[in-house]
Amino acid sequence: MALLEVEDLTVEFYTQEGVVTAVDGLSYSIERGEMFGVVGESGAGKSVTALSLMRLIERPGRITSGEIRFKDQNILEMTESGVRSIRGSEIAMVFQDAQTALNPVYTVGEQISEAIRHHLDYDDHAAKERAIQLLDTVNIPDAESRYSDYPHEFSGGMQQRAVIAMALSCDPELLICDEPTTALDVTIEAQILAEIEELAEEFDTAVQLITHDLGVIAEICDRVMVMYAGKPVEKAPVEELYYDPKHPYTVGLMSSIPRVGDNRDRLQTIPGTMPDLVELPPGCSFHPRCPFAEESCSRTEPSLTNVETGQADHGDHLAACLEYTGGLTGELDYEVVVEQTDAVEKPNQLGDDQNV
Amino acid sequence: MRRIYESEALHRDDEEQFTPNQRRSETPFQAMPSVNTTALSRRLLPNWLRNRAVSVSVSTPREEFPLGTTIPFRVTMANALPVPVTFRTRSPILWTWDIDGETKATRTQIREPPDEPGEFRFERGERKRFKRRWKQLFRVSASEWTPAEPGEYTIGAGLNVDNAVQRGLYDQTTVRVSDA
Repeated sequence: MALLEVEDLTVEFYTQEGVVTAVDGLSYSIERGEMFGVVGESGAGKSVTALSLMRLIERPGRITSGEIRFKDQNILEMTESGVRSIRGSEIAMVFQDAQTALNPVYTVGEQISEAIRHHLDYDDHAAKERAIQLLDTVNIPDAESRYSDYPHEFSGGMQQRAVIAMALSCDPELLICDEPTTALDVTIEAQILAEIEELAEEFDTAVQLITHDLGVIAEICDRVMVMYAGKPVEKAPVEELYYDPKHPYTVGLMSSIPRVGDNRDRLQTIPGTMPDLVELPPGCSFHPRCPFAEESCSRTEPSLTNVETGQADHGDHLAACLEYTGGLTGELDYEVVVEQTDAVEKPNQLGDDQNV
Repeated sequence: MRRIYESEALHRDDEEQFTPNQRRSETPFQAMPSVNTTALSRRLLPNWLRNRAVSVSVSTPREEFPLGTTIPFRVTMANALPVPVTFRTRSPILWTWDIDGETKATRTQIREPPDEPGEFRFERGERKRFKRRWKQLFRVSASEWTPAEPGEYTIGAGLNVDNAVQRGLYDQTTVRVSDA
């Protein structure tokens, strides 16, 4: 049994403009201790998915269908107090913008201790001790004196570390990291990612890492789900996704990664923009931007299928493209070129190139 | 608790140009306390007046379109009253559009909306404009669409309330899809 099983999750926002289907029929699972990556453009539904797991969707949003089973318990059927007991203790979240996530009128240490006191029933002194120890674990220098600093006295990287310390304070079984390094510069980003990886290994915590940075995914994840317009378009083990992408959107994402030493005049992009979620195009949501789109792509919405067998939703490598159910007359004509350079250890730095 | 304006920290003088004036206890309120105009209008405005106050219109840039092209249309809703008007809708879906009576050009039920009412609010004198496009396709199942045949089609739009047509909260226009 997987630690987390999400089945047919649909989240809708009822706005004046119309119904925004932010997440549409999403299913995936995360095993204990696994690093699971969710990648996609802004507005793909990554963060809404994460908030749904903790039942933090606010009006006018509603989880309109689906099940979220955490340790075989459906979170959507729990009482509010039941969910509150899970939030922070068993499922913790590292938010994107640490400065906003931290309360400016409480000290950083107090905010970490509060979670420890609430969930683990520690007394004041013991909670403080543990908070200091956690600050030390996430490499905050001089943790004991920084315990009583306010968030504005921390730098951006330190604030992000403090939020990670808070998320780890109750030894959660699932850590949801929603773009934890987006607001940071690359050197701090590398440190924070290394810390998350190390800590997850140390505490055997499963991590759902949400990002729009494919390099980050390649660095630390085991499996990846690529999302587009609220739907999953490809799910695969990380190496397969990089060396053998199967969905044209994934191919486009890969080709848009800038590479050092690339002598092209312009960076490659995916033409067009993400569709308006109020008014999704008929058929495959990606077809208006897809270089391989045929008429059938605007008439039939492909489901996630096994890229080898064409069977629905079974197997390691799944993609939502008519190519794999025999719905296309042409072929997905692209080529992945893997440059055998000195960067063999790091797939994100390899030349994932294609002729799109 | 002592407020900052109760302190004597500020130097006040009616004569000096760049200092605040002396406080006067008889100074009237500077602003009216806020009033929940939505709730008030819902209680005070009779239904018939609400229905007459808000108009709905649907328009397309022309009347004829070649087969297979996208038909853009604009839905305009306007509140003629100088007070806010609120409608209680059948579900959180506040308004809908349809092609020949088929909501969002869908011939199958994809998903039921939540079974709870919604509220559609119009500010005083507010005009709302929504743009939609019909790609001349009808959704026939969760994952299948079928193209429309040449002929005449009615594009309608209205508030998601009971008897929207009779209450004047619905409008429609006709377009011709030609094979040429």
